[in-house]
Amino acid sequence: MSILSVKDLKVRYSASGPEILKGISFEVEADDFFAVIGPSGSGKSTLIRCINRLVEPKAGEIMLYGADVLALNSWGLRRLRRDIGMIFQEFNLVDRMSVMDNVLSGRLGYVSNFTALFRLFSKEDITRALSVLDRVGLSDHVDKRADELSGGQRQRVGIARALMQDPKLLLLDEPTSSLDPKISREVMGLIMEIAKEYKVPVLCNIHDVQLAMEFCNKIIGLQDGIKMFDGPTSKMNAKKLDEIYAMEVL
Amino acid sequence: MTAAEAIASEADRIIAARSKAKFAHSLIYIVVLAVAIWCIKTTIIDDTDWARLGSVANVLESIGEFLGVDWGLAATLWEPALETIMVATLGTLLGVVVCVPAIWFGALNITPYAPVTYPLARLMMTLSRSIHEIVWGLFFVAAVGLGALAGVLALAVRSVGFIAKMTAEAIEDLDQNPVEAIRAVGGSEFQVFIYAILPQVLPTMIGVIIFEWEINIRRSSILGLVGAGGLGLVFFRQLNTFNYPGVTTTILAVLILILFGEVVSYYVRKAII
Repeated sequence: MSILSVKDLKVRYSASGPEILKGISFEVEADDFFAVIGPSGSGKSTLIRCINRLVEPKAGEIMLYGADVLALNSWGLRRLRRDIGMIFQEFNLVDRMSVMDNVLSGRLGYVSNFTALFRLFSKEDITRALSVLDRVGLSDHVDKRADELSGGQRQRVGIARALMQDPKLLLLDEPTSSLDPKISREVMGLIMEIAKEYKVPVLCNIHDVQLAMEFCNKIIGLQDGIKMFDGPTSKMNAKKLDEIYAMEVL
Repeated sequence: MTAAEAIASEADRIIAARSKAKFAHSLIYIVVLAVAIWCIKTTIIDDTDWARLGSVANVLESIGEFLGVDWGLAATLWEPALETIMVATLGTLLGVVVCVPAIWFGALNITPYAPVTYPLARLMMTLSRSIHEIVWGLFFVAAVGLGALAGVLALAVRSVGFIAKMTAEAIEDLDQNPVEAIRAVGGSEFQVFIYAILPQVLPTMIGVIIFEWEINIRRSSILGLVGAGGLGLVFFRQLNTFNYPGVTTTILAVLILILFGEVVSYYVRKAII
């Protein structure tokens, strides 16, 4: 039973600009750790940003848990985004805020502007923040400013923020590209464990094919906005990878 | 202590710390508010001649005198308006020229001899900014006599501070990697400046210059008050002859000029940066 289904998605940033996605379709199931791979400029980031409409598609259909994503008004869209945790390549933390405040910002979809302005988060939210920080291994860094942490730790804060949302889907946009190989593997491992514990499907756009093969159960391969491969990781092989990355020199 | 208890006590600690921080914040707001009330009391309530102000009707009547446009005057405003723009443009250009040494001396990472040249440049910038353009105007009117030249000089001197400060700080904050690369190919300090520093700060510098030009249009339109030509002089004459619609007309002309400056600077900035 698929929880996310994307049909014939097309994106262009401006009327005269190039078509970034040229009709992409795929389906994600409830227990998937789903990878989107492809060379730079193939449309991976654009694709993932269409799911929570950080990018507005020009045509196509996105159904998430039975809701028509592209038909939502702004209120509905905020409700939808609240249910989708997103983890970014550059972590996208607010450097000048504490780790605690960064993590608490994951609850913003649930609280009023007034609560946010005076940072009146409930004890429940703070307890929850502490337990997700404990889960990602940052119990000792709660009061630090985000910019005092190392890259790997910063990404863990990003993961904790996403978990605060109580997400029904996790979007990962190149979560390991700013990290060294060892830390990358640790972070991916952590995300995989957490996805299982929280029973949340993951859609992950990733440059590192090795990591994709290691952690993901399904892969789609994009090349210049066209889907070149769609299937379980076991069906992926060197020849197909060569095809997907054939245009990398461009 | 179980893990859950540990988290609960940690949560209590954090909540206590956060409410303490909020208390400190509220204190700051209260102090700011108290200072504001004190200032209002001393400067406005005690200092206003309430008896002379009269009723609300009187206030409205005084304001009403300014309503209306003196069309006869409007036709004669072309020349002073043009002069105002010219003064602003010349003042900005001259300011940029004077800026060059101030920028060179004023950026810590390129200043020739930091203990002397850096404070010197900073002094230039501060002096330029801390004296009002009207005061600079009075100074130059005394030095070179009435007319547009005094206005140009006043604006040039007044512009140095802002342009030099912003550009020097941009140079201090710039990305050192290209500098390293140009040094590594064997470039001289001058070549480092031209190849690695200038291209990085040029957009900032041009943006600041355009911004300064826009502000200078505003400044030059009042410099006439001290005899430095342009729309300010017209404004002053209208006020002195109690021709209030004329005053309004001049203000409208200044407004149009400033809007023109903003439109031009918007497009120039977009084209260059």
